[in-house]
Amino acid sequence: MSREEEIKKGLFEHTLVGEASEVVELTQEGIDLGMDPLDILFGALIPSLQEVGRLFEIGEYFVPEMLVAARAMQGAMALLRPLLVDKGAEPIGKVVMLTVKGDVHDIGKNLCNIMLEGEGFDIVDLGVNVKPEEVVAAVQEHQPQLLGFSAFLTTTMPFFKSNLAALSEAGLRDSVKVMVGGAPVTPEYADSVGADGFAPDASAAVRLAKKLMVDMGYDVSMGGDDSEGASALTTAVQAVEELMVKSGKHEE
Amino acid sequence: MEQMTSKQRFLAGLYGNPVDRPPAASIVSVITYELMDITGAHFPHANTEPEPMATLAAGAHEVMGFDSVMPIFSIAQEATALGCQVDWSDTDMMPNPTDSPWADRDVEIKLPDGFPDSFLEDKYVKCSIDAIRLLKQHFGDDVMVLGKVMGPWTLSYHCYNTQEFLFDTIMDPDRVRKSLETLAPVPLAYAAAQVEAGADAIVWADHATGDLVRNTMYRDFLLPHHQELIPQVEAPVILHCCGKTLDRVQYFSEAGFTCYHFESANPPDEMVEKAAGKMKLTGNVNNPITLYARGPDEARAEAQAAIDAGVDIIAPECAVPLQAPVANLQAIVQTCKDNRHQ
Repeated sequence: MSREEEIKKGLFEHTLVGEASEVVELTQEGIDLGMDPLDILFGALIPSLQEVGRLFEIGEYFVPEMLVAARAMQGAMALLRPLLVDKGAEPIGKVVMLTVKGDVHDIGKNLCNIMLEGEGFDIVDLGVNVKPEEVVAAVQEHQPQLLGFSAFLTTTMPFFKSNLAALSEAGLRDSVKVMVGGAPVTPEYADSVGADGFAPDASAAVRLAKKLMVDMGYDVSMGGDDSEGASALTTAVQAVEELMVKSGKHEE
Repeated sequence: MEQMTSKQRFLAGLYGNPVDRPPAASIVSVITYELMDITGAHFPHANTEPEPMATLAAGAHEVMGFDSVMPIFSIAQEATALGCQVDWSDTDMMPNPTDSPWADRDVEIKLPDGFPDSFLEDKYVKCSIDAIRLLKQHFGDDVMVLGKVMGPWTLSYHCYNTQEFLFDTIMDPDRVRKSLETLAPVPLAYAAAQVEAGADAIVWADHATGDLVRNTMYRDFLLPHHQELIPQVEAPVILHCCGKTLDRVQYFSEAGFTCYHFESANPPDEMVEKAAGKMKLTGNVNNPITLYARGPDEARAEAQAAIDAGVDIIAPECAVPLQAPVANLQAIVQTCKDNRHQ
């Protein structure tokens, strides 16, 4: 077995059990040896995370196991990301993202941010517990094409409507498309509050964002030689998302 | 059968004795915006001052008809006293811990100086104890007055940060054990104060749920604490744990809880079978779909399903969304009344 093959095997095994320092060391060694970053991703890291996801689906892994694997993956991604996206593609759109007032859950939103960024969007993250007036101020300041609201609790979902009302009162509703999501949110609820779209997870959020951009007449193709790197990054963060998106709700 | 008082009915359900009809209960929060308007007790005062807290809690019986009242609406009542950041000023949201003192690994895991006196004198802790005292004075022995504490697992989510705590169950289990061991005296002290103030039973929330962790984590980390702590509470203790829990009910039943409050993620007939009479059960009418988004007919159907399955005390599954219609909660009570035993 060549050293490159040993590195890939080690990355698979260490990621599977969340041994972050070993994953970072092997990733760096692979880069130093001149291994193709895409091979490190698709030949080792993503298969490992897919296995973690499979184990979660069949009830052998729970959230702690997903967290340690995803964190190990994040260490490798910090090294690989510049190699994959350093080709300088222009942002295909700007998205303001937030978790609504009264809600401090942000794992899902953060995964959406990673996915959207990987697809070439410029992300402005307002964080958690964001009040309607802060939403209005951010739209005025950043002038995004898209706005994403996340709520993790049935007690905070109604702030979608409050945010939309605040945008309307400020005369900004028609300037931006609004996406909503979160564990308890349904397509019917999204429709009922007047959102422009609903996404159940981060992968769907990317598809929805691109669709809304196309509906507004924007070109969302990454184009040319950049597509391969961007696609690889997207696939990688999608794997992380698949692991972490079910990080679970608990609010009594 | 002769009509029972609410407290008699609740206690009979709790101990498996004959009831005139199934008890309907407020186990964790059943308060809503509509109930706030009806009672005139609103946030934030109903979370921070004894009188409005007791007034709003009383609405669970006086407006909705439940056989129990429970004044500690949020999961955050202890959090400030333990060094967490909590925004208590919101007029329309439950208070929630937003910053965890032990998330920084360099911070020593220990209780604030002066525990338990300083804890029990904390404004928000004291408020809840005083509210229980007011409710007891108001209802006497007619209505079941429940207290509520967070167990060491859920307090760890607050003090340690949920994600970091779950991460360390694998990466640093000794620090997790230290957190649980350090926090174990907190619910005990809080429960004792609530019982002294008049609580007839204690709801003990500890979210080692199947949505987050494997059942062996409950068995290995938390069960020994429960087995040590629960017998020391001088009142019946009702465990609350959200999510899918069928795979750990066996362990719950070994912990000494009188009753388990379960969610709609678990079919009531399967939960009754798993509990196998070792613990009484309360629940499990769905919140986000049935009580929040649907109507009284659907609430009645779910309450009836729980009764038919043999659930001992009928209740919403968890803290009810604040936007839920009062009529949906009343429908649960009416369903229990319609099942009066001859």
